[in-house]
Amino acid sequence: MNPKPPLPVPGLSRRSFLIGAGALGAGFALAGCAAPGGSASGVTEISFYVSKPEVIGYFDTLIAKFHKSQARVRVVRDSTSNMSADFVRNSPPDLGCWNYNFSVVEFVERGALSDLGDMPEAATINPDIKPLLKETADYPGRTSAIPYSLTAASVLYNKDLFTKYGVAVPTTYDDLVAACETFQKAGIAPFFNTYKDTWTIAQGLFDYTIGGMVDVPDFFKRLRAEGTKVDAASSVSFQKDFRSAMDRMVQLGSYANKNAASRGYGDGNLAFAKGEAAMYLQGPWALNEIAKTNAKMNVGTFPLPVTNDPKDLKVRVNVDLALWIPEASKKKEAARSFLSFLMQPEIQNTYNADNNAFGTTKNAPPTTNPALVGMQKYYDDAAFYLGASQIIPSEIPVANYAQSIALGSKPEPVLRQLDGDWSRLALRS
Amino acid sequence: MSTQIPLATSTATGELAGTDADSVTTRRAGGRGERVNWPVTIVLIICSLAILVPLYVTLTMAFKTTSQAVDGNAFSLPAPFSVDGFVQAWNLTTFPRSFAISIGVSALTVVGTIILSSFAAFAISRNWNRRFFRWSFYYLLAALFLPFPVVALSQVKLTGLVHLDNPLGVAILHIMFQLGFSVLLFTAFLRSIPDELEESARLEGATTGQVFWQLIFPLLAPMSATVGIFAFLASWNDFVMPSLITSNPALQTLPVLQQIFQTQFSNNYNVSFASYLMAMAPAILVYLFTQRWVMAGVTQGAIK
Repeated sequence: MNPKPPLPVPGLSRRSFLIGAGALGAGFALAGCAAPGGSASGVTEISFYVSKPEVIGYFDTLIAKFHKSQARVRVVRDSTSNMSADFVRNSPPDLGCWNYNFSVVEFVERGALSDLGDMPEAATINPDIKPLLKETADYPGRTSAIPYSLTAASVLYNKDLFTKYGVAVPTTYDDLVAACETFQKAGIAPFFNTYKDTWTIAQGLFDYTIGGMVDVPDFFKRLRAEGTKVDAASSVSFQKDFRSAMDRMVQLGSYANKNAASRGYGDGNLAFAKGEAAMYLQGPWALNEIAKTNAKMNVGTFPLPVTNDPKDLKVRVNVDLALWIPEASKKKEAARSFLSFLMQPEIQNTYNADNNAFGTTKNAPPTTNPALVGMQKYYDDAAFYLGASQIIPSEIPVANYAQSIALGSKPEPVLRQLDGDWSRLALRS
Repeated sequence: MSTQIPLATSTATGELAGTDADSVTTRRAGGRGERVNWPVTIVLIICSLAILVPLYVTLTMAFKTTSQAVDGNAFSLPAPFSVDGFVQAWNLTTFPRSFAISIGVSALTVVGTIILSSFAAFAISRNWNRRFFRWSFYYLLAALFLPFPVVALSQVKLTGLVHLDNPLGVAILHIMFQLGFSVLLFTAFLRSIPDELEESARLEGATTGQVFWQLIFPLLAPMSATVGIFAFLASWNDFVMPSLITSNPALQTLPVLQQIFQTQFSNNYNVSFASYLMAMAPAILVYLFTQRWVMAGVTQGAIK
């Protein structure tokens, strides 16, 4: 084309640029080498993984406190590493503080987490909570994780609206329907539902109606015993056992806000905080979000009644945080000392009180949070269940199925699909 | 020699050149007060809105308070003007450090990509008649069909074994994954440089190194700018690779650290948008100053 005469580029500047780039690279290489060591002069450095963004600051103050209390162990917090990559590289965090749900299943069931059964802290755990862990993921003969925080979810309700319209907290399904009618007549949406975000339906309407009617752990135990053939003819199946719960879900869905199909989680928090609906099916995680809009809101909780027997009332729980130490960690002792520090009653109980959660130990104090006291009774009586949507393996898109029911599909074909998925998965594994 | 004209590039350029020509015509017509090409103008207005509206939301969100950010009115102006989002984002990501690491990784990627791929392209285009060089060109191009997630786990394992599980390893992998596309661009561009130029330099007694550094590399400048910009954007915006490869959280890049602002259960729009704005700034600045060369480079690479 148009060849310009080659400009004489001063050699020095290019060379010094390359040297600069090289030095930068060497710096990275050195930094990479320096990082894994760090156990000089009797100080052990452990990495501590906690990824809940809202509590990172809180754990940073705990780490500072721990550093003050002793000089042998230094803790480095990690909130961004990719867990699978860490395990593949054989350099997992020395202490994990993570959701105990489907994300941890793979690690537990392959025996990647060490046994903590011999720690004194393991003996302080409330025996009612142990089955919850076992149901999520279990490695035979091991205490793979120590639960740290338990969140209980039920119906959040606007206390002021309930008082204004003279509605008492319903304990039977008929009461609930009557309450809904009252609100509807007054022009207030009884429920604010957010069908755009599938997970909100799965953890809300879907899990609550099932948990209020079906004995969830027993159902899944029998379902697993059924093997690879689950259909209308088998003794237990989704189509049979979830049918009436799904009918309730459809009925309650008719009391939702009219625009539910286009509303997401953020919209729900906003609308409930503004008093646009009387009830909101969300867990305590929504309380912080609601407080962003209306910090002084008068919120209470009650378990969703799905039958007419008040004895059936239960709340949905999940182990929000659990502590574990991987087998691959080379600094288990140091990690254990920080675990013990975190499990001290005053530290653990403060954490749970500050973060809208319930304790996991035998002598955890009752909650004083006005939004959660409504659930204390059920927590004490162990009237709780793990959400069905959490137990169904993540290969089955149960949240999407729940959404299609919420948006108007007939429950039967969806439940039949769920049976088929379950059978195929059982056959495969 | 030039039997293999890369089709992909010329098509892309055809489109680019087309748009450019259209906009020029429109501008000229509008300026003279003559007939305006309305369909094209409307399309272009819509296209620019697609960029400007999100940018506007990003800007205003960043200066809102948390309670205003979640109120559902994305387009409202920040009522109490707040820089709280910036302060929080700055602290949560330890901005100076992560910014420096991101810059370092991107700079290494850009320099490495330009040098390595121009080397390769020079060797390949000057030895096109030899089978080894032709095949190595196809080999490098084959990398275009290899997305990172496919080889992610083995890369994680390998980088861990050789202690490259740090930003340096990320930069090396970025260079590798940029190589295919960059060699393609450089090779196409090198075809437009006449062999006679090189021959005359050789007659003067220049070695291959001198020919490359003093003759060819300066001529490649516009294409180097294009390749550099693509490499910069790919490296600067990458999330998956640094998040998987870097093991030390203190050496993590900016996009990975920003994931903590958004979870299933909480929204921190003002903090996240403030952070995105700070992260976006270099990419926008780089583009503003170098867009002339991007356009020039892309067109020169393909028109033959």
